[in-house]
Amino acid sequence: MTKLKETPKINLKEIDKIVESRRNKKWGLIPMLQEIQERAGYIPPEVIPRVAYAVGLFPSQVQAVITFYSQLYTHPRGKNIVRVCRGTACHVRGGKTILKLVKQHLGIEEDETTDDMEYTLETVACIGVCALAPNLVVNNNIHGNMNPKKVAAIFGNYKGS
Amino acid sequence: MEAITIVLNGVEVSGYPGTTILELARESGVYIPTLCNDPNLVSIGACRLCIVEDERNGALLASCVTPISPGMIINTNSPRVLEHRKKILKLMLASHPDSCLVCDKGNRCQLRKLAAEMGIGLVEFQRIPQSDTIEEVNPFIERDLSKCIMCGKCIRADQELVVEGAIDYIHRGASVKAATLNDLPLEKSECTFCGVCVAICPTGAIMEKDRAYTGTATTMVTSVCPYCGCGCAITLGVKDGKIIYTRPVPESPVSRGTLCVRGSYGYDFIHSKERLNKPLVKVNGDFQEATWEEALALAAENFKRIKEIYGPDALAVFGSPKCTNEENYLLQRFARGVLGTNNIDNSNRLYCAASLTGLGVTVGYAGTTGSINYLERSQIILVIGANPEISAPAVAYAIKRAVKFNGAKLIIIDPRYTPLSNFAQIHLRSSVGTDVPLLNGLARIIINEKKLDEEFVTRMTDNFNNWSKSLEKYTAVYVEKTTGIPKKDIQTAARLLGEAENTSIVYGNGITQQANGTETVIAIANLAMLTGNAGRRGGIFALQRHNNARGACDMGVVPNFLPGYLGVNDTQNRQKFEGRWNVKLPADNGLTALEMMEAARKGKVKGMFIMGENPVASFPQPKLIKEALTSLEFLVVTDMFPGEAVRLASVVLPATSFAEKEGTFTNFEGRIQSVRKAIIPFGDSRPDSEIIMQLSLAMGSPMLYSSPHQVMEEIEEMVPFYHKVSPKDADTMGLEMGEVDGDTPGTRRFYKGLFPSGFGRFQPVDFTPLQESKNGYNFTLITGSSRYHFGTGAWSQRSSRLRRFSPESFLEINPADAKELGFKDEDKIQIISEQGEISTSAKVSNVLPKGLLYMADSFPQSPVRELFGTVIDPRSKTPALKSCAVRLERITADDQAKGNP
Repeated sequence: MTKLKETPKINLKEIDKIVESRRNKKWGLIPMLQEIQERAGYIPPEVIPRVAYAVGLFPSQVQAVITFYSQLYTHPRGKNIVRVCRGTACHVRGGKTILKLVKQHLGIEEDETTDDMEYTLETVACIGVCALAPNLVVNNNIHGNMNPKKVAAIFGNYKGS
Repeated sequence: MEAITIVLNGVEVSGYPGTTILELARESGVYIPTLCNDPNLVSIGACRLCIVEDERNGALLASCVTPISPGMIINTNSPRVLEHRKKILKLMLASHPDSCLVCDKGNRCQLRKLAAEMGIGLVEFQRIPQSDTIEEVNPFIERDLSKCIMCGKCIRADQELVVEGAIDYIHRGASVKAATLNDLPLEKSECTFCGVCVAICPTGAIMEKDRAYTGTATTMVTSVCPYCGCGCAITLGVKDGKIIYTRPVPESPVSRGTLCVRGSYGYDFIHSKERLNKPLVKVNGDFQEATWEEALALAAENFKRIKEIYGPDALAVFGSPKCTNEENYLLQRFARGVLGTNNIDNSNRLYCAASLTGLGVTVGYAGTTGSINYLERSQIILVIGANPEISAPAVAYAIKRAVKFNGAKLIIIDPRYTPLSNFAQIHLRSSVGTDVPLLNGLARIIINEKKLDEEFVTRMTDNFNNWSKSLEKYTAVYVEKTTGIPKKDIQTAARLLGEAENTSIVYGNGITQQANGTETVIAIANLAMLTGNAGRRGGIFALQRHNNARGACDMGVVPNFLPGYLGVNDTQNRQKFEGRWNVKLPADNGLTALEMMEAARKGKVKGMFIMGENPVASFPQPKLIKEALTSLEFLVVTDMFPGEAVRLASVVLPATSFAEKEGTFTNFEGRIQSVRKAIIPFGDSRPDSEIIMQLSLAMGSPMLYSSPHQVMEEIEEMVPFYHKVSPKDADTMGLEMGEVDGDTPGTRRFYKGLFPSGFGRFQPVDFTPLQESKNGYNFTLITGSSRYHFGTGAWSQRSSRLRRFSPESFLEINPADAKELGFKDEDKIQIISEQGEISTSAKVSNVLPKGLLYMADSFPQSPVRELFGTVIDPRSKTPALKSCAVRLERITADDQAKGNP
């Protein structure tokens, strides 16, 4: 994980509002975490105690929940999330090379974020469109039948931070 | 409920629905190996070693989480079970280091034990070592997660027993591990170093630090922790005549396998180099070593001389709430029967005397009215003037368990924000010293809204009408104004209290050390009776400071009561003891602790015997106490360590620690528990009981007891509520719960909700604002205990790890106040009151409201006591040692250079 030079400022007031809306509702933990992540882009570790006491849990328990789900993050992520598929079909059709190329273009490793917070690179086990392999996903858009040219077309203009 | 019958290894056995296979197997004497099961924890089936086979369908079931069902045919040792069990254990070993030879867990490792049991040698699977070293600087606990088998016991113990929540799982799959929030070292987390995880870990993953490689204990002795008033059972591990560890006792009804940092790591004062090991006699101002015979003869001779010249009341005796019941009983017999004076008291006067007086006049029974089990089952728990997290951890654990797992609602009345506040439904942050109006106000609302327990009040109590009239002035508006708590919150709290089926009220030194402590205790008792919670259902829980504070008072180490609270003025009471001891007893009330010191200063008391106490450190106004002790003609002190009182003594007699003697302690519930001798006395020291008997013999009045057990037999005979409740033999943990819970008439508890005197009595109490000159002293300082230290610090400051982790005192100050005065953390500060001044460093903390300061005692370098005057609660004669007005000054570098404090 790259260390960011500066953590983006979080709006604690806004987060408190989310926490208050579900105070004392134990079932509200996951929706609350999702909502916080939607607003702040991630779940800032410093808000974990607030969340925990609001729903009658220990901060360590809330951390356990957050780290259990891969959809929840405790560190800031880029504006755009790039997921390269490393499922079997994509692997056979050169997914590994696609991943290498994306890494070169963005200048980051897996699970890292570019310094300017533009891109976060992740891998995914399968996205279910093996017919289009090799695949990669940028935000919610699937790019199928990837090749070096296409990778360059998507990321070529990115000069890095 | 109908029992379910199953076949277990070919034998029919039956159990109640809900019983797990493992539980039933244990009951039937069938062994099933397991690494993650513990009777005090909820089973989670993590290790899978307890698998058994259901022969009907071949299913492999984790027996710790599978309840029995009709028709099961269970085989615990079928070839399939054995094969799978071996494989599971091998998989654990495949990711476990082979460092057994150099691992300090040694033969106590359950993983290694099971591997040996199943005949597993080297593992053929591919090794997947986990490496996770955690740099920790705390002196208590060391984690090496490469040895972790993910049984989850530490996490469950932390969350289910201690309810601290410092650790939980982090991540998932192969990278899962137990971690603190943000995976920080323990000292940077919520961890309180209670040591329960260390005791419960089956492998060497969590170990006691700084003790490594002292070897395995050769004997283990179950005793009682000597620190606070909870009375947790501890196991002392002994090797080569030394205590090498203490562990919690899972069977203890008080602590259920928990301890706190003091209990787990505060034992090495026993082996401190500073221990007194020879009797000392002062010759021309210098101490010289003497034999026991010489020292005792000298003491006896002088006591006799003073008694003959000035009369018996020129002598005074000071008992100890840290010594055993037997020792205190002998001591008061020595004072009354041998010296012939009622001038006897103990330092509980400084802490909890208000409980004795306040509960005595209301419920007629001077102590906690329920057991810790009752507390845990309460629906509402009101904590007032106490921070049990620090002062009585086992009680805090019970409260937190009640809130977390039994759905209890917690109300806290405390100006400070405490760790317990996170569990509270409402936290009423009252101004210091306004508990009486608040409690009266709550009672008024309950009466007005008709939420009182009318049946209980009419049938069991009297004086209700007078009392309820006295409440008229405590309107919600008035209470809001005096206490500073919003009306709405007071109302909510009153409704919670009034509507609940059973309520427990927990209070501590925050009440009893106030100048109006007795009044507040009475107000608490009134509230408890009003809601029908005295002696039945919930109860009143009076926390005590010292391990045997209750016992010392029960044993009559007070100036106005013989053992069992029998008034000394009553001829019949005296005759009972006169007949037994064959001696005439003095009839007049003696002097209380502070009166004794005053009398000594004025030359009225000439000789004093102090058992295990350093009044210079524990009393307010140390200078006056020193003066008092110096003015004495003759002073005998028995102690373990050379405190100020020892230095002023004429004869010093070295005493043993709790681990070197036999006897009993009475905890805050009134539970009498055995203290057992684990090691031989250090040097030439002797147990206080022997010292008293030998001194008595030297004075020509032998006491004929062959052992502490024989003393206890006499106590049982003479003190009605100790009858049949002391531990029967050395192997029982204390008394049976049935006996504590009051199902037997004549025991010390309420019998089926009946008050000992037939009726509880409501007593009107009025609010008297604290009398303190604010003249320039713009802050209110409150004092209390520290998590890592205890009492005067005589023991905890000599326990190397406690001292190292928490070496210096500090003053907690609100961020706004700190900003105004320009104080930062660790700035040196002078605290000045009308009485004195001390220096310490600042710690900015947002747990305090503005204008309030907090400082812990127990740090001899910064004796908070010096700041306090001697304002005395008129009814209990307790000095007010909870709050005082102070101002702050910065200590600049110049001052320090000049050598100023």
